[in-house]
Amino acid sequence: MKVVTGVVGNDIHVVANRLIDLSLRARGYDVFNLGVNTHLEEFFDAVVETGAEVLMISSLNGEAEGWGREVKLLKARYKTIDDLIMMIGGNLVVGSGNSEEIVARYENYGFDLVCHQVDLNTGLDLLQALLKERNIT
Amino acid sequence: MSLLQEEREIILGNEYVDTFDFAEVTEFVTNASKELFISHHFKKKGKMLVQPRGGFPTYKQQYALYEFFVDANVDVLPLTIDSNTRLNDYATAKKMLRLSEENDMDMLNGYPLISHGYRTTRGMITHFNKPVSLRHGTPDARLLIETAIASGIFEIEGGPITYLLPYSKNFPLDKAFLYWKYVERVCANYSELNEPINRESFGPLTATLVPPSITIVIQLLEMLLSLEEGVKSFSVSFSQQGSMTQDIVTGTVLKKLAKDYAAQIDCADASIHLVYHQWMGAFPTNKDFAEQLINLSTVIASMVGADKIITKTREEATGIPTKEANAKTVADTQYCLRILNGLPNVVDEEEEEILTLEVNAIMEAVFNDPADTLWRKVFNCIKSGIIDVPFSPHIINRNEMITIRDDSKNIRIIERGNVPIPDRCYAYERAQCDLSKDTTGIVNDIIHDIGIMQ
Repeated sequence: MKVVTGVVGNDIHVVANRLIDLSLRARGYDVFNLGVNTHLEEFFDAVVETGAEVLMISSLNGEAEGWGREVKLLKARYKTIDDLIMMIGGNLVVGSGNSEEIVARYENYGFDLVCHQVDLNTGLDLLQALLKERNIT
Repeated sequence: MSLLQEEREIILGNEYVDTFDFAEVTEFVTNASKELFISHHFKKKGKMLVQPRGGFPTYKQQYALYEFFVDANVDVLPLTIDSNTRLNDYATAKKMLRLSEENDMDMLNGYPLISHGYRTTRGMITHFNKPVSLRHGTPDARLLIETAIASGIFEIEGGPITYLLPYSKNFPLDKAFLYWKYVERVCANYSELNEPINRESFGPLTATLVPPSITIVIQLLEMLLSLEEGVKSFSVSFSQQGSMTQDIVTGTVLKKLAKDYAAQIDCADASIHLVYHQWMGAFPTNKDFAEQLINLSTVIASMVGADKIITKTREEATGIPTKEANAKTVADTQYCLRILNGLPNVVDEEEEEILTLEVNAIMEAVFNDPADTLWRKVFNCIKSGIIDVPFSPHIINRNEMITIRDDSKNIRIIERGNVPIPDRCYAYERAQCDLSKDTTGIVNDIIHDIGIMQ
């Protein structure tokens, strides 16, 4: 299973990105890690280039909110990635907010799995459950 | 005209510089007060110098900060530069400075030195007549250091590796080496006029589980790159690592090897100093606990025998500290240093031997790279992972080395990647750790190990 991951926007917070990389590899995924400071186009380009089934975006400084709005529009320009599983996690707002509202908002942006301030391993368990549910293994 | 002088004229012809008067600046440095040179204070060797961190957008705020520091009995004043200037975006820095001045609100996270210019800044620095240290994080610092020296700032922090690997994702490393070569040469040339300009490397790197062998190798290499251009006064540095023994051993090995490697390139005449950074990782939000941590750092700096300590504040976890909190740390640190007497001499020969072997093995691999100059050798070794910095965001960094803490909180290498850690040392490092855990367990340990001071 191929996963493209990275931190969206002008966000240089690298620690969690490394840990996501390590944890995904330990669970047997093929990881294509784009690192910090990654723009949305780069994520989708990498998905096309690698043929990844999962795109896992993370954000710590909260600027994902600004980028999230452009996801559907941008994704529609790519012809071959309709079945892509899209996951996002980290700190998804600047400041604090109601978790349920945040999740609903990001689902509306086109994400299948939204992990706002969720522990890394819990998030990866949720991903595995979702893949199983959709019969992608 | 020399090639360097031609380059200087291009750099200083920048539209954001108000006519740079080379002759006047040369005369200023030649006749500048010895008090402004940290190299002069190091020579006197009275006590460990205390230097806080700090930079505000406006001249008025920076001046007020310095007044607070001087009242708190500071030894070295900092000038921390804003992030726009660090990235050479002088237009934005200028605009944000104007907004900060007009609205009484800080729109910059430091002092925009280029926007203020050297004539204005020099007035403030010569007024306080204390050594000032330039703190920035700039890959291309050519214009910045010219302006700094012209302002009376005679200590320049940074280097092509330590200001790039922790801060940038894709600024080209080879360019950084060449830009810093310019910095070294300009510092070396000015050093002939009066007391030497001191260069300082930034040892904390990512401040996230960096093993001492990697820290020391990078300190030594930046020192050599600087000395080979003619710099005569250099500070190697590192930050508190989490284990007192490991800090003491790191300090001992770093001091010894710095002298040895300087002598190997016939630069034994350069004076080498040791700088210790108080804890650079995540701080406790409880401000009283933060003060305890700061105090502990000061004790360890004394055990390490540092020539200078760089302080944090009780507000570290909350954001940019107020001048009051910043000055308080200076006064507290000075007090702690004054009452710290009769320190025991701690030596751990086994740890020293292991660390020395590791550093020498990596240095040997660097020198054995077939490239023709030292900077190219270093560049190749970073690219190939012979030098690997944990948690660097830069795309050139290999990211194969994995480190965790042992029971005594020493940072240990459990995966060496392509770093040529000798087998015996590698076995020793791994033997200190519980290796039976799976990756999930190790990831949880790493998260815990990063946050040990919280």
